[in-house]
Amino acid sequence: MTNLAGAFMARPRTSIAEPAHDLPAITPHIEIVPTRSQKRARPKIAYAAVVVTGVLAIVVTQLLLSIGLSDGAYEISSLQSQQKELDRSNQVLSEQFDKLSSPQNLAASAESLGMVTNSAPVYLRLSDGAVLGSPVAAAGTSVTGGQALVPNSLLTPPTVAGATAAGAGAAGAESAPPAPEVQPDVPWQGALPSPTTR
Amino acid sequence: MNATASRSTRRRATVAVFAVVAVVAVFVVRLVTIQVVQADTLNAASFDKLSAETTTYGLRGDIVDNDGTVLATTVLRYDVTASPKSVTDFDRTDDEGATTTVTPTQAAGEIAAITGQTADQVYGILTADPSSNFAYVVRGIDVDAFRSIRDLGIPWLYYSSNPVRTYPNGAVAGSVVGFMGEDEAGEATGSAGVEQIENQCLTGTDGVQTYERGADGVAIPGSTVTTTEAEPGGTAMLTIDSDLQWFSQQALAARVQETGAAWGTVVVQEVKTGKLLAVADYPSVDPNNLDATPTEDRGSIAFQAPFEPGSTFKALTAASVLDAGLANVGTQVEAPYIFTDPNGASTRDSEFHVDPLRLTFAGVIQESSNTGTAMLGELLSPQQRFDYMTKFHIGSSSEVGFPGESGGILHPVDEWDDQTNLTTTFGQGLATTAVQMASVYQALGNGGVRLPVQLVSGCKQADGTVTQVPDTTGEQVVSPQAATDTINMLETVATGGYASADLQIPGYRVAAKTGTAQMSDGSGAYGDSYITSLAGLAPADDPQYVVSVTIAKPVTIENGLAAAPVFQKIMSQVLKEHRVLPSGVPGPDLPTTY
Repeated sequence: MTNLAGAFMARPRTSIAEPAHDLPAITPHIEIVPTRSQKRARPKIAYAAVVVTGVLAIVVTQLLLSIGLSDGAYEISSLQSQQKELDRSNQVLSEQFDKLSSPQNLAASAESLGMVTNSAPVYLRLSDGAVLGSPVAAAGTSVTGGQALVPNSLLTPPTVAGATAAGAGAAGAESAPPAPEVQPDVPWQGALPSPTTR
Repeated sequence: MNATASRSTRRRATVAVFAVVAVVAVFVVRLVTIQVVQADTLNAASFDKLSAETTTYGLRGDIVDNDGTVLATTVLRYDVTASPKSVTDFDRTDDEGATTTVTPTQAAGEIAAITGQTADQVYGILTADPSSNFAYVVRGIDVDAFRSIRDLGIPWLYYSSNPVRTYPNGAVAGSVVGFMGEDEAGEATGSAGVEQIENQCLTGTDGVQTYERGADGVAIPGSTVTTTEAEPGGTAMLTIDSDLQWFSQQALAARVQETGAAWGTVVVQEVKTGKLLAVADYPSVDPNNLDATPTEDRGSIAFQAPFEPGSTFKALTAASVLDAGLANVGTQVEAPYIFTDPNGASTRDSEFHVDPLRLTFAGVIQESSNTGTAMLGELLSPQQRFDYMTKFHIGSSSEVGFPGESGGILHPVDEWDDQTNLTTTFGQGLATTAVQMASVYQALGNGGVRLPVQLVSGCKQADGTVTQVPDTTGEQVVSPQAATDTINMLETVATGGYASADLQIPGYRVAAKTGTAQMSDGSGAYGDSYITSLAGLAPADDPQYVVSVTIAKPVTIENGLAAAPVFQKIMSQVLKEHRVLPSGVPGPDLPTTY
C-alpha cells in the first residue's frame, strides 16, 4: 500500500520533458516508515518455519523413539528367549556333567580302561630326597570288583558306560589324547626347596 | 451489502464455533467417562487381556560336599498340556516350503515316539474329553524331550516348567543328604537328612512378574512390573568328601554282602576338626529313586540307630581310668575266665581259658578281656564312670541335629543294677550310635579334646555370605596324657591282637579296637546275633582320622574280623587321599603280659 503513493507521484515526471535537468534531483523515493509496532505485527516467515520444523522434528523424533522402543521390546523378547534356551542348554550340560563326574561313573570308567588302585602310596620328600613309605607294585585289585554297589538311578540307562566308552573311542580316533598337556597338580606344603649355592 | 456480508460472516463463524464447542464437549464427556467414570472397569478388562503374570522361581539351593561337588540340585522339568477342544488337523511347513497336513493321530504318534508312551495312550489323552480345555499329555520330561516336542510345532500344545530336585551322585551320601517330601500344605519340603536340617537355608522364595503384552506375546515397552523379586535358596555346604563317601559305601556294601550281614555303617571323622568326612550306611537310599528302597531303610543308620557298642567302648573305660590316675598302661591284672563282683554280678571272657591271664592294662585292651576291663573299670565308682561317659556325649545326640538322631541309651546311674554296673565297662548295657563312637575316638586322638561333630559347615547365601557356621569349641574330656596312653594301648591291638593281620597299613601305625557285641533281641534279652565293629585311628603317632566300621548280624564271620578289612581299606584310602605322610617313629610296643 505504501508503494501506491510513490506511483502517483512518479506520473507527472513523464509528461514534463525538459526541465528535467534544471530541477534538482526529483524527489527521491519516499515511503512511510512503518512504526515499530507495525513492524512487529508483520508476520515473519522465519517464525513459521521454526515452528513447523520444530513440530515436524518432534513428530519425527517421537516416531523414531517409539519405533526404537518397540524395536527394543522385540529385541529384548528375542534375547530373553535366547537366554532361556541357553539356560536350558546350560542345565542339560551341567546335569550331564554332574552325572558323569559321579564317583560311580568315574570308577567304572577308570576300571574299564584297565586302571587299578595302589593303596600303598610312597612320598618323595623334595627337601632331602628321602623316600617315605615302602614302594609296592599295585596289586591290580579292583575297587569295585565289577559291581556297582552304590546305586545311581540317573546312570541306570546303559547310556553311560556304553556312551562314554564309545565316546572315548570316537574321540581317540579323531584326535590325539590331550593328556600330555595337562600336568597333574602336585600338592606341596611348606616352602619350596631351593638349591644351595655358595 | 458490506454490512450484510459481515453479518453473515459473523453468523457463520458463530455457528462454526458452536459446532466446534459441541464436538469438543462430546469428546470431553466421552473422555471423562472413559478415563474417570469407567476407568477401573476398563483397566481391569484390558489388564486381563494384556497382562501376563509369570512366576519367577527362586530355586531351592544346592547341597554340596567339602570341595563343592554337587550332591543335590534343582533342575527344571517340563509339563506338556493340550487343549483337547482345539485338537484338529494342522498344517506344517518344512524347510523347503512344502506344506503337509498333520492329523491328530499322526501328531499323537510323533509325541509318543519322544515321550516313550504309545501312540494310542497319547491319542486317548487328547480325545478323552473333547469339550475340555486342559489335559496333561506328559509330565516332568527333560529339556531334550521338551525341545523335540516343541519342534514338532503342534499348535494346540502348551508347555510349563517345574523345578524338580535331582541328586547327580545317586546313593552317594543319599541317606545323609536326604530327600524331599510334602508338608501339610502339600508344598515340597525337605523331609529327611540335610534336606530337612537345612530346609530353611535351601528354600528359595518364588517371585511374581507381571507385564502387559501385545497380541504376539511381546511385552509392551515400559510395562514390566516386577511385583516380587525371586530369591534363590542358599547352598548347604557339607563336610562330607563325596569320593571317600562313595569308596566307603562301596567297601561297606561289598563286605556286608560277603558276610551275609543285615546292615552296616562306616563313619570317617577328621580328628583335628571334628568334621565327618563320610557317613556310609548299608542299606542306603538313592534319593532319585525312593521307591527302590523300603521306607525303613531310607534313613541314616549311623545317626539314628543306637546299638550296644561292645568292646570298642573299652577305649572309653581305659581313658577314664587312666585320666583318674587309678592305673597306668603297665598296671598288672590277673584276668580270670569268669569274674564275679562281691555283689554277685559276674561276667566272662569271650574265649575260655583255665588259668587267669596275667595281663598289663595294655594287654587287657589287646586281648579284649572283659573280666580284666571290668576289674580295672571298677576302680572308678559308677558315678565317676557315668560322668566320664556323659563328658564323651554318650546319652546325648551329637551337635549335627540330624532328623531323628538318637543320643544312644545311657540310663541314669541310680538305675544301674549290679550287672549293668559291670557290663557298662565293656560296652554292654548301654547303647550308642556309630557317630557317637567315632566321636569318642576323635577325642582320644585329639589329645583328649572332644570337638563338636560337624556335618554341615555352613549355609552360603546367594550374596556369598556364609551363615550357620557351627561352633568348633572343643572340650577337654580326659587329660592329653591319658588320651595318648589310650592310643598307645590301642596300637597293641593292631600289632598283636587277633585282627592284627587285617589291620596292617604299610608305613603307618594304626591304633584300633575290635568289638563283638551281643545284640538285644528287642525284648530285653540278648539274641544270638552280634554286632561286629572296628574303630580306630591313624597314624597312631599323630592321629588324623577316625574310621569306625559297624557290621550287624554277619553270618559267615561273627567277630571284629568282619569289619577289620573294611577299616583297613577305608583308612588306607583316607591317608592316601589326604597325603598323610607315613609314620616316622616306631610305636612304643607296650608290654602286654608279665
